[in-house]
Amino acid sequence: MSSPPLHPVPSENPLPDRVLSSLDIAVFERNGMTGEFHLQGRAPEWWCARCGSEPRTVLDLDLWSPFLKDYLIADDPARNAEASVVEKSGPWTETDGQGATMTFEATVLCIESRTILLVECLGTGFEQMRAIVQRARERVLAETIASKTQRKTETRLINQLEASERTKDDALALLQHLGLAALVLDERGRITFASDHGLELLGFSAEEAIGREWEEVFLIEEQDRVMLRELIEAPPNGRIVGPLCMRKPNPSWVELGIHHDPRHPDRRILVVTDRTELHTLRRVLNEQSSFHDLVGKSPAMLRVYQLVRDVASVDTTVLIEGETGTGKELIARAIHSVSERRNKPFIAANCAGLTDSLLTSQLFGHKRGAFTGAVNDQQGLFEAADGGTLFLDEIGDIPPPVQTALLRVLQEKEITRLGEARPRKVNVRVLAATHHNLSEDVVRGSFRADLLYRIRVARIQLPPLRERREDIPLLAQSFLVTVCTAAAKTVDSLKPDALHRLMSYVWPGNVRELRSAIEFAVISCKGREVSTDDLPPEIVGASAVPDLSASVPLPEHDEKTRLLAALADAKGNRTEAARRLGISRATFYRRLIELHIQPR
Amino acid sequence: MIQKKICMLGGFAVGKTSLVRRFVSNVFSDQYQTTIGVTVEKKCVTVASQEIMMVLWDLYGEDEFQHVRDLYLRGSSGYIVVMDGTRKDTLQTALALQQTAANTVGPVPFVSIINKADMRSEWEIDEHVIEQLRDRSWTVLFGSAKLGQGVDELFLNLATQMVQRPPLSNTHP
Repeated sequence: MSSPPLHPVPSENPLPDRVLSSLDIAVFERNGMTGEFHLQGRAPEWWCARCGSEPRTVLDLDLWSPFLKDYLIADDPARNAEASVVEKSGPWTETDGQGATMTFEATVLCIESRTILLVECLGTGFEQMRAIVQRARERVLAETIASKTQRKTETRLINQLEASERTKDDALALLQHLGLAALVLDERGRITFASDHGLELLGFSAEEAIGREWEEVFLIEEQDRVMLRELIEAPPNGRIVGPLCMRKPNPSWVELGIHHDPRHPDRRILVVTDRTELHTLRRVLNEQSSFHDLVGKSPAMLRVYQLVRDVASVDTTVLIEGETGTGKELIARAIHSVSERRNKPFIAANCAGLTDSLLTSQLFGHKRGAFTGAVNDQQGLFEAADGGTLFLDEIGDIPPPVQTALLRVLQEKEITRLGEARPRKVNVRVLAATHHNLSEDVVRGSFRADLLYRIRVARIQLPPLRERREDIPLLAQSFLVTVCTAAAKTVDSLKPDALHRLMSYVWPGNVRELRSAIEFAVISCKGREVSTDDLPPEIVGASAVPDLSASVPLPEHDEKTRLLAALADAKGNRTEAARRLGISRATFYRRLIELHIQPR
Repeated sequence: MIQKKICMLGGFAVGKTSLVRRFVSNVFSDQYQTTIGVTVEKKCVTVASQEIMMVLWDLYGEDEFQHVRDLYLRGSSGYIVVMDGTRKDTLQTALALQQTAANTVGPVPFVSIINKADMRSEWEIDEHVIEQLRDRSWTVLFGSAKLGQGVDELFLNLATQMVQRPPLSNTHP
């Protein structure tokens, strides 16, 4: 399609031409006959660049983007109206002869039935607008990316949190399933985590325990607290401490494993193990081998311990029977210690070898002037033991008048001092002991039957040592420790032959005699082990008992010989002779009288 | 040779210009350059032994700054709806523009493409949504102007549909 050469139509008014030219706007008017658009006035500078070296005055639409043609042929009724209508095409792009991009915008004006086309090359203002839109869209894209990244991060963190929560739940479930009592302490010693079992052992709820310092929730003894604080603050190496007694919620015994938190060197993980049952079992085991000051775990002694517990719980009179030296007073003390009266006095009185007046005065007290030598009012043992326990040893030896007075005290719970008429109320539990067979004494008439029945409400029969020989090693070792401590000597044990000798001896003086023998041996011992040579001569020289479990009462003449020999060895000193025989001085006297021995 | 006016529709920065340039000139630039106004490109293709001059109207992206004018759509024989798989909001823009085009030019063939398949791991438009589009009889293709994947298929698919379709009165000459 050929176009006429560019011959701008001379304008009658050059000023508007110059204005339009300076705005880079080309003005065309449509020929109503041909429909062609003819350039009017001066052509702008871009016209040559866009339309080639020989631009025409008639607009050749084939050289332009279809966009312009679409815009011009659009049969818009408004454009054909007589009224002035301004409808811009909007920007479109073209390429110039050198391949550079140019942006144009067209406007068709209908003025007095004339159609005018303005084609503007968009310049600086358009580029500024494009830059603004570019920046705005880039910002929107950047925000979209940032928002997406944030959402991704949130999702990742939420997933991590959920995974962490699941791991924590699993670990917690495992802890609960295993019944582990675990606590985590932060660097300041505050509890940040406690398993259910841990809280149960501490006796606190999670709300009460979490966030508090461990010392506030571990209710333990002060010395244990100090020790535990040092261990927690020290560099950890997986120590286990305990058992410690925790006072809340119920007294319990626990072991504590102190471990460092692998995630943080200053945090601690405490694993608490309930050892209450084990501790109780140990205590029971210890109690079975000893009970207060009584030592022995033979079946006979275990029965005695149980009897002691039984009678201690009832406030009744008890008769303790047993050979001399079997530990009757220890039994009485044990009953007192276990009973409700344990915080009140325990007074022991030996009733043997005392005249009735002296014994009466001792037991019930006297008024000043009641008898010669009674220079002051004196309370008796019953009054002294008020609220507590009075142990009357050798009750079988008390004279009949005193038996009567004693019976009255037991019945009426009141005593009358010698020389007084007014009775005094007393609250005393009486424990009595004897080596006699009181039933036989009652038959012989030397002991009141009614008093026997009154004091024998409960009775404990102590076995002689020869009937519980299995306790001899335990007793010997116990005495060895006690005696060595008192004597400041170091003797660790008994040699097997010495122990065998002790096991085979008949022990007429029972446990008391055994203790004396150990004292003797410790004094004699030159090394750290007691040998047979260290034992008392009467034990070393004694013949072995063929049947260790049998009860072998000594023939009377043998005992008389032993007493005389002991007296001779002690050069007539009866106290020393009694000690050597392992019996009390009172028993020694009594046996001298019974066997008609007259000391020189 | 017949000419067919085809409009590229879609939100801003979905890759309309990149798809056209990849198809027409086989070039791609990572540098985002927003389109203001309209750029018209042409490419001749042969479909079913018939040569077609595809007149591609690369319209500016729809957003709060620019709204596509109905005038530009008039005379289109078909159109291509472009979405950015990494931006879910471009789906809503595409749906709105398709509705505008359908109201303006009637039931002419159109093809949609979810662009930026090279970033598939970051797509926000999921299979469920794509199925919903296909349920609405949309032709949904995947492609990447950056890698050139699915670009020719996109235009040829539309050209095929236009050839197979009986000419409408508003078909561009």
